[in-house]
Amino acid sequence: MSLLLLTQLLAAAALLFCLAAFAVRLRRFLSLARPADRSQPRGSVDAGVAYALTLGMMPWAKESTRRHALAYLRGVGFHVTVFLCLALLLISPWLELVPTLVRNTLAVITAAGALLAFLGFLSRFLEKSLKALSTPDDYFAILLISLFLAAGAAALWMQVLLPIFYVVSSLVLVYMPLGKIRHCIYFAFSRLFFGRFFGRRGVYPHSQQEVIA
Amino acid sequence: MTEKTATALGLLQKQLNQPLVAALEVCARCGICTEACHYYQAEPVEAHMPSMRAEELRKVYRSEYDWLSKLFPAWTRSEKLTDEKLAALAEMAFTRCTLCARCTINCPMGVDTPLLMTSLRAMATATGNAPEILEMLADAAVEKGRDPSSYLDFFLDSIKDMEKELQELTGNPKASIPVQKKGAKKLYVALAGAHTILPVAAIFDAVGEDWTLSIFEAANYGVFLGDAARAKAIAKRIVDEANALGVEEIVISECGHAYYAMRWTAPNWFGEEFPFRVRSIVDVIAEYVAHDKLKLDPTANPEPITYHDSCNLGRKGGVLEEPRLILKAVTPNFRELTPNREEAYCCGGGSGLVANPDVIDLRMLTGKPKVEQIRRSGATAVVAACENCRLQLGDLSTHYGAGFGVTAIADLVVKAMRLPGAQGTVEASMTNPEMEFEKVGK
Repeated sequence: MSLLLLTQLLAAAALLFCLAAFAVRLRRFLSLARPADRSQPRGSVDAGVAYALTLGMMPWAKESTRRHALAYLRGVGFHVTVFLCLALLLISPWLELVPTLVRNTLAVITAAGALLAFLGFLSRFLEKSLKALSTPDDYFAILLISLFLAAGAAALWMQVLLPIFYVVSSLVLVYMPLGKIRHCIYFAFSRLFFGRFFGRRGVYPHSQQEVIA
Repeated sequence: MTEKTATALGLLQKQLNQPLVAALEVCARCGICTEACHYYQAEPVEAHMPSMRAEELRKVYRSEYDWLSKLFPAWTRSEKLTDEKLAALAEMAFTRCTLCARCTINCPMGVDTPLLMTSLRAMATATGNAPEILEMLADAAVEKGRDPSSYLDFFLDSIKDMEKELQELTGNPKASIPVQKKGAKKLYVALAGAHTILPVAAIFDAVGEDWTLSIFEAANYGVFLGDAARAKAIAKRIVDEANALGVEEIVISECGHAYYAMRWTAPNWFGEEFPFRVRSIVDVIAEYVAHDKLKLDPTANPEPITYHDSCNLGRKGGVLEEPRLILKAVTPNFRELTPNREEAYCCGGGSGLVANPDVIDLRMLTGKPKVEQIRRSGATAVVAACENCRLQLGDLSTHYGAGFGVTAIADLVVKAMRLPGAQGTVEASMTNPEMEFEKVGK
């Protein structure tokens, strides 16, 4: 068995583990009560949810992200490249079919993502308040993701490095549902509840803020 | 595990629903919420970071529900709940967060920190760790609901006296304050004291409103305790009264938490949609203004006036434009604070802190960003549609020697109505004279 095939199988097993563990988590979560809100709505819940999942995530939508636009965009950038890299993992057995120009472009984007993630790792060390807030889990998770993105970029650049990408991917996939990275499956729910809350009250989107008389 | 920690953890388990678990799990500890908090603005220390506060509960949650944390607690900094930890969490939940939700709207994930802190408050209350004063006030309100006859005669007598004041104020000898009037359209629920009854009664009189005054007060201290059973019992008095009288709507006085409790939370305690509407008096007055039902002279309030958005009424309640519509009609000199509306800073007195004499120094400290906002606006009078905010703002004005007066919306409206008995200008701050503190940090 070649090293490539061996590491591919390892990554496939890790992916199965990841999906199964997330499925269990999700099932447990969905089995919890979702309290019905019986208050008379002042605004549209649907509009609030739509806002929370779209415009409400724009850098200009919040005071915090307006003030820290670069930090926010760094976070957005590296999260987008994580999803890109996960997609890369799925198509990697057929990577040679992807045109070189596309591969190289993706390599640059993914490498930039790795850099952004690594900057996040550094900022946890350098920013006093962030350091106080961080756990070993945080440092490990972001370092692992930095490596994942760097390995993805390297594999896109040189396919001979694919086994390294598979090994790192396996680590990421196994750790994902166990450690801090698992926050990804709760994100949509959290934004959904946010949108329901503020949409119902006519606070978001801003177009709902009008005199009701 | 002690009895207290077992009770607290049992309650945590009971409260774990989708919104709470999402709030516990989703935080990436990015710290971007940090500067959103008025505590942190006033004193930039780690303990005032919203994510740090929420993390204290998450540590306990992880130690109970996350197997990686159970195996390697140091890895996620999880902590088992002890009596000491519980007491510290209780102190934090009752004094280091006003449940204002400013961090929530500034969080990329939308973490519901008030929900986390309310859950903690519930755990603290169930284990005897809640501030005594809040317990006493909540119990007194529940007791009052059990036997209204114990004070009803006195209440009706005082309303009769108030009616005379109303007639002098309005110049209308037939002006009245109806109580227990069956079939009235509106049940107005005031706070303790004439100041939330008389101006509103004058407005109702001017528009010929069909209303009746509740025999109960709007305040609900059960909400501050995170105690749904007591909060429901307090709300039930008013819900029962509204049902018995057959009113079309309950109108809540200018009080942030009372509005929030009755408008947004009470239907969920009862598990049913109310057969009547619930609105703030601010909504009702705005409706009168929008439909030109009140004759208003804005020159009656010439001072530079600004508006403080109560968190419960504004960011968490959606009453954002109505106060502005009213204020623009009653003064030619309205100016905004920056930031405002849903981005407004909490005054530092919310969620029961104003009632707790032990935290006055902290209140004065965390109200500093609000004072600076008011100073920058150049206003000499601040309007707030919430009693707790008004008390806090009055204390802040005195404490920092800021010299601004504090008033309610209805008071300004009454002045702009140019009623024969209305006099004076907005100059008296509502500072509680019994509160004493050192003037520090000017």
